[in-house]
Amino acid sequence: MTSPKPLLRAWALLIALSLATTALTVLIGDDAPHPALAGAVLALAGLKASAILRRYLGLAAAPVWRKGVETVLAALLVTLFAVWLIPSL
Amino acid sequence: MSAPRSAPIQLSGQLPGELIMWILIVSEVLVFGAALTGFLGARALDPALFAQSQAMLDRTAGALNTVVLITSGFCAAMASRAAQGARVAAVRLWLAGAAALGLVFLLVKAREYADKAARGIDIDTNAFFTLYYLITGFHALHVVAGLAIFAILAARPSAANVETGAQFWHMVDLVWVLIFPVIYLLR
Repeated sequence: MTSPKPLLRAWALLIALSLATTALTVLIGDDAPHPALAGAVLALAGLKASAILRRYLGLAAAPVWRKGVETVLAALLVTLFAVWLIPSL
Repeated sequence: MSAPRSAPIQLSGQLPGELIMWILIVSEVLVFGAALTGFLGARALDPALFAQSQAMLDRTAGALNTVVLITSGFCAAMASRAAQGARVAAVRLWLAGAAALGLVFLLVKAREYADKAARGIDIDTNAFFTLYYLITGFHALHVVAGLAIFAILAARPSAANVETGAQFWHMVDLVWVLIFPVIYLLR
C-alpha cells in the first residue's frame, strides 16, 4: 500500500491555492479585475485542477496521459480567458 | 527483409483506473468547459448585466464549497488507498467522511438557491441566472450521483469498485474548481 503523504501534500497544496484565490479575490474587490489578475485567478484554477489530476487521480504516475489531459485543460483555460477578454477589446 | 517493427506504445497500461472512466472524465470536463465558454460568451454580449447579477452571488459560500469538495476528494482518495489494502472498516469510514462533506456541499448550495429564491431570483430572471442555475444545478446533480455511488461502494468495497467511484468523485471536484472562478469570481 502506498504512503498517504502525497495525498496529504496534495490536499495542503489545494487548500493553499484556494487561499491564494481568496486573497486575489479580496485584492480585486467588486470591480472588474485587471486582465493580469483575471489570468492569475484562472491560472490558480488550472493549478488546482492539475493537482487533482496528478495526485487524487494518480496521473503523476502516467506522464504521457498527464500531458495529454493537462494540454486539454490548458487549452480550455486559455479559451475561457480569451472569451472573458472580449468585452474589454 | 522487412524493417524491424517498433513495439507499440503501451499507453493504457500506465493509466490509473479504468479507461472508460477517463473517457467520462475528459468528456465531462469538455461539456462543462463548453458551458462555461457559453457563459462567458453571453457575458460578452451584456457585461453590465452579468456584473450586476454576479454581485448577488455569495462568493464566501462558493469558496467554502471549494474547500469542502477538496477535502471530500482527499477522503475519497484515502478510501481508495485503504481499499488497496483490503481494510474494509477504514474504506467505509473514509467513504462516510467523503459523503458527509458531499452533503455539506449540497446544503451550502441549497442555502444559496434558497437565498436567491427569497430575493425573487429564479432561472428565468435573466441570462446570467439561467446559465448559473443550469451549470451549478447540473454539477449539483453530479454530487447527488456521487453520494449514491458512495452508498453502493460501502456495500461492495472492492479495490476496483472504490477506485472507480473515487475517480467519479474527483471528476466532480475537478469540474467545480473550473466552475467557481468563472461564475463567481471573474467579473
